[in-house]
Amino acid sequence: MSDLYIIEKTEYTPEIILDKEEGVYTIKGRVITENAQEFFEPVINWFLKYFKKPNRETKLILDIDYINSSCSIEIMKIINIFENNLNKNNVLKIIWFYKSDDEKSKEQGAEFKLSTSVNFELIKVESTNNLEEFNFD
Amino acid sequence: MTTKTIYDFYKLLENDNISFSYRGGFTNNVLTTATQLFKENIGEEHSKLKNKLSFLMIESFQNISRYSEQEGNDILEDTSEFFMTRNVGDTFYIISANLIDNDKIPTVKEKLERVNTLDKSELNKLYREVLTNKQISEKGGAGLGFIEMVRKTKGKLPFDFVKVDEKQSMFFMQIELKNPKVDDGLEPLPLSDAKFVQEIVADENILMMHKGDFSKEAVGPMLRMVEENMQNVSLKVHKKIFHFLVEILQNISKHAYPINEKREGIFQIGFDDNKFHIGTGNFIAKDEVANLKNQIEMVNSKTKEELNELYRKYLREGKSTKTGSAGLGLIDLARETTDKINFEFIEINNNYSFFSLTVNF
Repeated sequence: MSDLYIIEKTEYTPEIILDKEEGVYTIKGRVITENAQEFFEPVINWFLKYFKKPNRETKLILDIDYINSSCSIEIMKIINIFENNLNKNNVLKIIWFYKSDDEKSKEQGAEFKLSTSVNFELIKVESTNNLEEFNFD
Repeated sequence: MTTKTIYDFYKLLENDNISFSYRGGFTNNVLTTATQLFKENIGEEHSKLKNKLSFLMIESFQNISRYSEQEGNDILEDTSEFFMTRNVGDTFYIISANLIDNDKIPTVKEKLERVNTLDKSELNKLYREVLTNKQISEKGGAGLGFIEMVRKTKGKLPFDFVKVDEKQSMFFMQIELKNPKVDDGLEPLPLSDAKFVQEIVADENILMMHKGDFSKEAVGPMLRMVEENMQNVSLKVHKKIFHFLVEILQNISKHAYPINEKREGIFQIGFDDNKFHIGTGNFIAKDEVANLKNQIEMVNSKTKEELNELYRKYLREGKSTKTGSAGLGLIDLARETTDKINFEFIEINNNYSFFSLTVNF
């Protein structure tokens, strides 16, 4: 396995960029595949290998629009890998982005935050897509 | 309030290999969904009909917009129109219904009666005449759409007008596309069948309904439809629908009992009393009934706080839905629904039962 793992997004799966050299760790998009375990297996293996010799700082970006329950479990597995590697020598951080008007996404992020002792930050971003034009109740 | 059960709807569409019906404002997104759903899901023996079917769906749609008085573009804004495509035996049906001004009925009727009585060469002649003479009526074409439909299907176009009031009537039309390579020996379904479905979905405030084989790709087209056709609901509601859809549809595709290698299911979205209802039905193996029933009763007995706790516990433990206890998906459904999860098991035979589930929000 190389230091680089990149897959492009599809209708059911997110874009994933894991780049040890550049220090980029991003999961972005829709995470609703039915084959959650199969899809995340290489990602989990990548992190397991990575943490044998990690960079000094690892900041995982989770920028997820929709996630189904079976994928939530896989994301939790990744968070647990971070948790298992908490020590003084490296800085670990996970950032969960959610859109300002997206309560569901905020709640989902909060669930993960509550379920781990890793430094987990929820960051609100302004809606930038056309969802802004909706009539909110 | 709804009086029909999911099983009633399933029975209504029992012989449909696949069907999709939609009530509401018509946009191209609905058309895209319907064509995608059929392109991706119809049986191998019908694969040669795909392009023709898409073409006819487009014609049918354009026909609705041509003769319809409504200009709604959102599912909740206007629910007078109805569109349905279904495959029963060796025939595909495309049914449209829309309001039409009573004073336009004679013209439409005349065009339809004309194309329904002509033979092939007369139709071709008429087609060329209409094209060259450019006799365009004020609302698009001298029935060119109808001529095309008949030419493509080599069949008739059953139609009917049902008076609504002094001004308007409901205009029903059915396109029938028979697969020439397969012969089921059945008489085609009468238009009255589709009228009956329309009546029921209208009475029960069903916005969309899909029956088919859920082991195939159904989630994608459904999600696109919700995304693009429900833009006037708040983002919160929008995401909830999306969320329920994903969990429920994927659940069917995973756990439904396969009959003749198909994981048949029915799925519907309704809107009533200011609430959305999402209902699904599918078969499950009889020996799974007791366990599933326990799981649902368990999550139904919990408060929202208890469910939240349970959710976190399972998330941490990474429990998958295959284990004996309630899955994360079910807990999540119970957290999001306004009432309890409604469910019903109907024993079909010694091997399997029909399982239906409805959530409201």
